[in-house]
Amino acid sequence: MLADKDRIFTNLYGFQSWRLDAARQRGDWDNTKDILAKGQDAIIDEIKASGLRGRGGAGFPTGMKWSFMPKESKDGRPSFLVINADESEPGSCKDREIIRHDPHKLIEGALVAGFAMRARAAYIYIRGEYIREAETLFAAVAEAYDAGLIGKNACGSGYDFDVFVHRGAGAYICGEETAMIESLEGKKGQPRLKPPFPAGAGLYGCPTTVNNVESIAVAPTIIRRGASWFSSFGRENNKGTKLFQISGHVEKPCVVEDAMSIPFRELIEKHCGGIRGGWDNLLAVIPGGSSVPLVPAAEIMDAPMDFDGLKAVGSGLGTAAVIVMDKSTDIVRAISRISYFYKHESCGQCTPCREGTGWMWRMMERLRTGDAAVEEIDMLQQVTKQVEGHTICALGDAAAWPIQGLIRHFRPELEHRIAVREAALQEAAE
Amino acid sequence: MGILGKIFTWWDGATIGTSLFSSMNGEHVGTDAQGNKYYRARKKKTVEGRERRWVIYDGANDASRVPAEWHGWLHGAFDDLPESNLPPAKIWEADYSPNATGTTGAYRPQGALERGGQRARATGDYESWAPDA
Amino acid sequence: MPKVTVDGQEIEVPAGATVLQACELAGKEVPRFCYHERLSIAGNCRMCLVEVKPGPPKPQASCALPAADGQEIRTDSEMVKKAREGVMEFLLINHPLDCPICDQGGECDLQDQSVAYGRGGSRYDENKRAVTEKYMGPLIKTAMTRCIHCTRCVRFSEEVAGVDEIGALYRGENMQITTYLERAAEHELSANVIDLCPVGALTSRPYAYEARPWELKKTLSIDVSDAVGANIRVDSRGREVLRVLPRINDDVNEEWISDKARFQVDGLTRRRLDKVWIRKDGKLARASWDEAFRAIAAVNAGASVAAVAGDLVDCETMFAAKKLLGALGSTLIESRQTGMSYPVDNLAAVNFNSTLAGIEEADAILIVGSHIRWEAPLVNVRLRKAAKRGAKIFLVGAEWETTFAAEFLGEDLTVLNNLPDYVNDTMKGAERPAVILGGAALANGALAPALALAEGWNLVREGWNGFNVLHMAAARMGALMLGFAQAGGIADLIAAKPKLLLALGADEVNFATFDGALKVYIGHHGDKGAAAADIVLPGSAYTEKPGTYVNTEGRVQYADKAVFAPGDAREDWTILRALADALGVTVGFDSFPQLRAAMVAEVPALGVEGLANYGALPAAVAGAKAEGRIAAYPIKDFYLTNPIARSSATMQECSSELLHGEDVLEAAE
Repeated sequence: MLADKDRIFTNLYGFQSWRLDAARQRGDWDNTKDILAKGQDAIIDEIKASGLRGRGGAGFPTGMKWSFMPKESKDGRPSFLVINADESEPGSCKDREIIRHDPHKLIEGALVAGFAMRARAAYIYIRGEYIREAETLFAAVAEAYDAGLIGKNACGSGYDFDVFVHRGAGAYICGEETAMIESLEGKKGQPRLKPPFPAGAGLYGCPTTVNNVESIAVAPTIIRRGASWFSSFGRENNKGTKLFQISGHVEKPCVVEDAMSIPFRELIEKHCGGIRGGWDNLLAVIPGGSSVPLVPAAEIMDAPMDFDGLKAVGSGLGTAAVIVMDKSTDIVRAISRISYFYKHESCGQCTPCREGTGWMWRMMERLRTGDAAVEEIDMLQQVTKQVEGHTICALGDAAAWPIQGLIRHFRPELEHRIAVREAALQEAAE
Repeated sequence: MGILGKIFTWWDGATIGTSLFSSMNGEHVGTDAQGNKYYRARKKKTVEGRERRWVIYDGANDASRVPAEWHGWLHGAFDDLPESNLPPAKIWEADYSPNATGTTGAYRPQGALERGGQRARATGDYESWAPDA
Repeated sequence: MPKVTVDGQEIEVPAGATVLQACELAGKEVPRFCYHERLSIAGNCRMCLVEVKPGPPKPQASCALPAADGQEIRTDSEMVKKAREGVMEFLLINHPLDCPICDQGGECDLQDQSVAYGRGGSRYDENKRAVTEKYMGPLIKTAMTRCIHCTRCVRFSEEVAGVDEIGALYRGENMQITTYLERAAEHELSANVIDLCPVGALTSRPYAYEARPWELKKTLSIDVSDAVGANIRVDSRGREVLRVLPRINDDVNEEWISDKARFQVDGLTRRRLDKVWIRKDGKLARASWDEAFRAIAAVNAGASVAAVAGDLVDCETMFAAKKLLGALGSTLIESRQTGMSYPVDNLAAVNFNSTLAGIEEADAILIVGSHIRWEAPLVNVRLRKAAKRGAKIFLVGAEWETTFAAEFLGEDLTVLNNLPDYVNDTMKGAERPAVILGGAALANGALAPALALAEGWNLVREGWNGFNVLHMAAARMGALMLGFAQAGGIADLIAAKPKLLLALGADEVNFATFDGALKVYIGHHGDKGAAAADIVLPGSAYTEKPGTYVNTEGRVQYADKAVFAPGDAREDWTILRALADALGVTVGFDSFPQLRAAMVAEVPALGVEGLANYGALPAAVAGAKAEGRIAAYPIKDFYLTNPIARSSATMQECSSELLHGEDVLEAAE
């Protein structure tokens, strides 16, 4: 278990004030000038050495992502950092805690990361529904400006850096990096084609890096305490600490910071007081937010909670939004509801996702009541395969995976429902 | 029309052969308002097992002259004779009007030239210019 | 030059090409809906998926993927086949199966591609989505349930037309393509989205339920609604032209045409001249050809004959008239009906020398007296492209709504004498500067000062000629090449007081000035000319005769005959030929080939398809000063510029709804 001294987010639960002076007492903005004085390459190398992988879901090494940004602007275009605070994934709630209780970690991180990638400004794109959080963030940014921490000559380092907060309008797809850029530009939030990648032509056609709130917020602490400290947690290739958000049928759902690769059982026992009704009552877990396939109880219990460990059980870490479901769960209905979410949030740009998500949801609804034929399960599986990998962004994949996970692990349940309904119909007919 | 007419024409009423056949094998079961006479075969069944029924028109041999009530009987839809068994005619039932096909009173669809109406526009039609228009 | 392998066949593709283009170069067909050569890449239909190595182990959208050296592309693998079937299935689940009543049937990309690349049947068992009808104006008929959201129409109006008229609302399954608040699409090129739409969501409203594409006879022709000479295909059935579609010609119209060119054809069936009329006792009365010819001969005009050519006339007709007048001993021929009298001894000075495609390359443009959006919508598209490439554009004349970044320098033409320094500097410093003179500038005598500016700015240089005149009449350049112009313009004709005036489809002439002449109108529509004439001889419209047309850049183009003229109407040259007999002179041709041969013999440039060479610009006249104001442009109503359009119900509707719609609303309030 992570020792308190090793926690990055020391005010995760809001026991202290989020204001600048309180944040300073917690160690934020402590000699940020010195961090910047190390130079861009040193910061990026430190982040690379720490093994930090993107916390937004895909798990791309953060240091490497920063190093893709141009070292100098050849044509006068500025670079931008976009911070993805459009946390809309069902089950995810870590960015919200960071923003409302520790916003200065994020703002300092924005400066450090923005400086490292030679960005002119950072845009924090915050989810529209986070109204209080946005207010906090606006106030925190204003505080930082007033204290001279950002803006012209940020922290007295001689580097000019602005932070803009932009509120979204409540579209899940705007959490996709290129859709977020489109939305920031004032257009309809629809993902762009890649290539060109944002690092080449992103916001307003300028080199842009889009990072998750957590990836940015941990950066200053990593630099302060050293890459070796950060990489002392977790397994090889899955270093560091992570905010886990455990919801569902546990005794005490919570957001908690712990080391990567912590086994699932330990995570639940230590922080959540165990599964409701005991471990035998566990049915399945969605370990990384709604877009990853579920994992049945037997496989997840002792799996390490990290990128590779969950990949091995056919799922993924995602945002580490652990959704625990006990045996009282109507698992088909749960997945059907997730399907509805993706149908509702599909942007409608490309065909497989626009048409496929609706089809999948409707079929899931019928499977929920058993109003289907057994062959239709195979057809549904084929439809998910037709969506997966055929779309511009990953929303198609995200819509397909939960259903694939359901069919993979709970096909007998689906067939059982069909059989029950058919038997009932038979009876009614007689 | 006299006997000569009966010998040489066939479009009014029964021919001589039919009259003979009817009087020998048929049983006259009724007459409708227009004077058409309805017969059925005395020997009850046809080969298919149905009763054979026929009509001799009083005037032109025009099948549309069979009124609705007798039409049903004639075609085997019911066996009761209409005169005695059908309910009385309703006030909204239209009177019989003769078939006008082949006459000047025949129905002409909308746009027919004989009706003098405007025909639907066809490809190639154009509106020509006239000085005062 | 990257080398790629397409289905095992190694080919070299130009740098910057996409995988889709590479496949096409290799002769492989790649199905697509959203991709269009002239629009930006959207990559959203996902129909063009191919397998590319190296790359992720999933199919890639070939339209958006750049071709790179060493790529191995497969368009025939099992993965690709499956991917196409999958996408096609998705496209069809919410597409109504109403092909039998859909106007796109027979020329529908979705139909064709579902036959070629789709599954045999549907597995979709749920309810289909329906979309409420949208209104897009009098030209575009919508059936948005059929929409497959390829966004071609959105991209066209944004990128080519330059107006944000069409966009997408809502998201996911509920996404709908519509105009803002369901207003009509008002741009002059709006109907091109009908051609772009790969399905039957946007179809032609005037042509709705008229015909199936396989019933139509396709004739290659040239548009006469403006001087651009857009290449068109005339689709006819029997004796009626049903629709006009653009042909692809990158030098002229790319693949767009204006709404007027497309939809004025229903005017070809209205107000047609199909009989001979002779004025008796002040009223026109029906007559026979013989009577008409006798009446013309009876004037005994001798050499006192004049001819005025209208805006839509082909070169052959004008040449036949010129020959006839020549045989009678007259040279009184003119084509500039409205009285313009700019010098025409050097045609280079009244030509669009940069060429239509070339004006895209210009980096500084001064437009004098031209409402380009109305006078030549297709040139406006080119100018927009130039502006997008960074060209600075200045305009002199009354303000109009441009679709590109431009600066108006005022209505006063005297600004040309003393241009602001930054304009001067921009034009001088530009690599390919251009000047465009419109009809209003010519009418106000701005040609000479413009030529002086051209000399000062050195508009003509190696590989570039930036001096341009933009005409509005399809017949103009051809007429000028045939010498249909007098030094003093039409005033010379009036001064000559001819006894006989031949008006060849000329409707803009002030006929009152020809009092005392026997006015013979040869044309196809009953318009101002026919009403004012003493004798009306029915001729042919542009779809009813073969002809040669020269567009404003001096491009000689040939049109074919699509249908026969109605009633007693004849091809114009035959009328003039018969008139020659009636007047007892010989013109030297008895057939159309003979006529064309005689014309080419006299003006050889008309015998070669393509740009005519007019030589160098004339030297500027020293001390030429511009004066006057351009407070208005010659075109008052874009949709009603010629007799055909004025007869067209569609164009009248467009005019009243799109141009005067607000007046109507105000009147109603």
